[in-house]
Amino acid sequence: MPTNRPPALVAEVSDAVGAPHVLHAPEDLLAYEYDATIDRAAPDVVVFPNTAEEVSAVVAIAARHGLPVVPRGSGTGLAGGALAVRGGVLVVLTRMNRILEIDARNRTAVVEPGVINLQLQEAAGRHGLIYAPDPSSQRVCTLGGNVANNSGGPHTLAHGSTVSHVLGVEVVLPDGRITWLGGRLLDTPGPDLRGLFVGSEGTLGIATKICVRLIPKPEAVRTMLAIFESVEAASEAVSAIIRRGVIPVALEMLDREIIRIVEPRIQAGYPLDAGAVLLIEVEGVAEGVAVEGEAVVDACRRHGAREVRVATEQAERERLWEARKAGIGAIGAASPAFYLLDGVVPRTKLPAVMRDVLALSERYGFRCANIFHAGDGNLHPNIMFDPDVPGATDRVLELGGEIMRVCVKAGGSITGEHGVGYEKRSYMEWIFGPADLAAMDRVRVAFGGADRFNPCKVLPTGHGCATGHASDIQRALATPGVYV
Amino acid sequence: MTVTSPLDAVRHALPSDTEREPHDYAIDGLLPRVAFSPDDRREVAELLRTAARHDLVVVPQGGRTALALGRPVDRYDVALDTRGLRRLVEYVPDDLTITAEAGISLRHLQDALGEHGQYLPVDPPPDDRVTLGGLLATARPGAWRGFTPGVRDLILGMTVALPDGLLARSGGRVVKNVSGYDLHRLHTGALGAFGVIVEASLKLAPLPVATRSLALRCGDLARAVRVGLALRDAPLSLRGLAVIAPRASAHASLPHEPHALVDLAGVEEAVVRSAREVDEVARRHGATPAEVGERPWQRLRALAGDESATVVRLGVPATATLEVVEEVRAVGCLAWAYPASGIVMGHADAGLQAGAVSALRDRARALGGYLQVEAASPELRRRVDPFDVDEREAVERLKAQFDPGHVINRGRWMEGL
Repeated sequence: MPTNRPPALVAEVSDAVGAPHVLHAPEDLLAYEYDATIDRAAPDVVVFPNTAEEVSAVVAIAARHGLPVVPRGSGTGLAGGALAVRGGVLVVLTRMNRILEIDARNRTAVVEPGVINLQLQEAAGRHGLIYAPDPSSQRVCTLGGNVANNSGGPHTLAHGSTVSHVLGVEVVLPDGRITWLGGRLLDTPGPDLRGLFVGSEGTLGIATKICVRLIPKPEAVRTMLAIFESVEAASEAVSAIIRRGVIPVALEMLDREIIRIVEPRIQAGYPLDAGAVLLIEVEGVAEGVAVEGEAVVDACRRHGAREVRVATEQAERERLWEARKAGIGAIGAASPAFYLLDGVVPRTKLPAVMRDVLALSERYGFRCANIFHAGDGNLHPNIMFDPDVPGATDRVLELGGEIMRVCVKAGGSITGEHGVGYEKRSYMEWIFGPADLAAMDRVRVAFGGADRFNPCKVLPTGHGCATGHASDIQRALATPGVYV
Repeated sequence: MTVTSPLDAVRHALPSDTEREPHDYAIDGLLPRVAFSPDDRREVAELLRTAARHDLVVVPQGGRTALALGRPVDRYDVALDTRGLRRLVEYVPDDLTITAEAGISLRHLQDALGEHGQYLPVDPPPDDRVTLGGLLATARPGAWRGFTPGVRDLILGMTVALPDGLLARSGGRVVKNVSGYDLHRLHTGALGAFGVIVEASLKLAPLPVATRSLALRCGDLARAVRVGLALRDAPLSLRGLAVIAPRASAHASLPHEPHALVDLAGVEEAVVRSAREVDEVARRHGATPAEVGERPWQRLRALAGDESATVVRLGVPATATLEVVEEVRAVGCLAWAYPASGIVMGHADAGLQAGAVSALRDRARALGGYLQVEAASPELRRRVDPFDVDEREAVERLKAQFDPGHVINRGRWMEGL
């Protein structure tokens, strides 16, 4: 347990937020050692502020002691972004969970960072409106976390990631000052600091209020399930759909491996003998949906779909989506551990890249289940393994690295929606040069975060941060039962 | 030891065939001491680096359509014409993405995309003469905003030349990407305050199969606003929506009466159905619809980008559209609004008093909004901060990191910056 905690720290943060909202006993800190990734690191103290002023006070105390500050929501992050890698003060925002305002006429909402994504969806839905970003973890993830990671989800294909839906954020800066970036309207004047902050993974400040835009519910929605013999054929169909000039609101792929895991649990009617399926949704004015739906069906048929099922009723649509949403969780139940990757490639490269991903997995001898945002070219291979098998962990990591390199080589990126966090910071050098990274570092310096605000995240270097992450992952993966 | 003058230092830094005649680059009645039009991004970086070393102020410009945006620069030493950077770096129609250099004009870009049935869904002021770099550096919305993504949401990646001579890249060429800080957002709308954009990758859209524009004559302004909001809320395949006061209507080639103007775009069937819905909304509100074509939209765009007038853009909640349009009219402006993005535009041929602009700004701010001066005389732009952002301190700290010598557009963004 930490030995270098300043003696006055606990008393000071307790003064700021109230003693019941501070954890500091070793056994309490244990639960805050990790997020949804594999690494572990204990903070010196965990605080649960209730207001922006309390966040500001806690941040100022940490600044006075020169301690790291690490913001955290529900802890569902998939890149180690909420790990207190160098100890310090973990600021958990789950108490700040109020929806402060929904202005249906002007289509905006103001929320606190601890509000769960789905709660906002439901609240907006009561006004006939939608909050578009819908990460698969939406039942548990917080909007503050979504802002930090610029989270995506199936429906970001047409509507864009979180950044396209955040109008403004109230932010506690690393020196404790409270400021607004952006506002309550689209396109506020000046450099897009709001957009710069979204996706900065808690390294530039802590969002304490978030103003988001809501969009109207579409008049009609059509969900289709296209069944293919192979991942490659399904991948070809993805390009063919886009080529038709149709941008579905969602275009998801599930391969044979994931269908066989999820279908027995959910019974959504996905055929167990399919090589892959595409889950495709179009929405809008009813007449347009009919035409675009037919174009999608035709594109799929021409690219080898043996069947395309069309669901227009709400219940049918929900059943199809249920399998998609339950997918990742089902893998957790089917395998002692799995490593969930997040990479992006140009959509036209999907067929070749997916061929490489499957061939690589086979060569390494691992089952690999794919369930991902095909329309965006955003891959999520899940490599299943048993960490008790000697050498398995090493080989999984090697395979993960090789798949990431395939993405980069195809002109893609090392992360589409999970973030760089702690895990992928050394991969940053695969896609950015020294000048690029130096420019990014200037932003961190300008905001005052430098090496103290969520240290060892996003950028590959930093004082006191271990270099290279493979050894870190290896250590954590050696822990039985832990999955990524 | 030879002593070189600052201007000679810049001349030595660039190939001689990139030098241009300064008199072609007047801004606010001022001429630069030298002008260059490099065709290689490394030359842009080298120009900035040299200028920084010799304390010269560089003013980047492309289509020269937003020269009256921002405060007059404190000094004007070097004109940097970006139009030499005009390569189309990569266009993969099936990926719906493009990478192009910053000096390419929007018209040129749209022509190339149109051949593949695609386009960049933006309608910035004043027209497609804007360069890609200018489009991003000004980030000014048009009538489509709210139905189409903002410029800032279309950028996938960017390369920027910095005053210390670095060429820094952010983002990438894929449509979804969260690797590293989105520096491209910092440079969007920044008028070059932190660097000169030399290349960008963008997300494209399929060209709509069918488009149709309908103007609804409304008798009085209150009705036009009600019709506008009803259209916003109706199930329509909309791409643009405007509410226009009488005098602005006349300038937009419409009868001298309040109007609601809609741009429908999408597949044929959706547009046909939408046109029926528009008729229905018109009937319910006692408005008279008419087919109008592109012309009114082009006129509004031109008015919004008219550098010979004073033009203000206010952002207010859509529910405040009517009162704010009335107030903008009351100070002598042509006035119109885009309810989907909360924008109210004012255009005054004869200019505006600083007091009137400040009063409108106070009003917008009280409603939780903003006012940006899009164009005005140098005098007015000195007296009234064209942007008036709350983030001044953050901007200053970023400026200190990216352009500590205040080399680019000195004083243009805000006083002392």
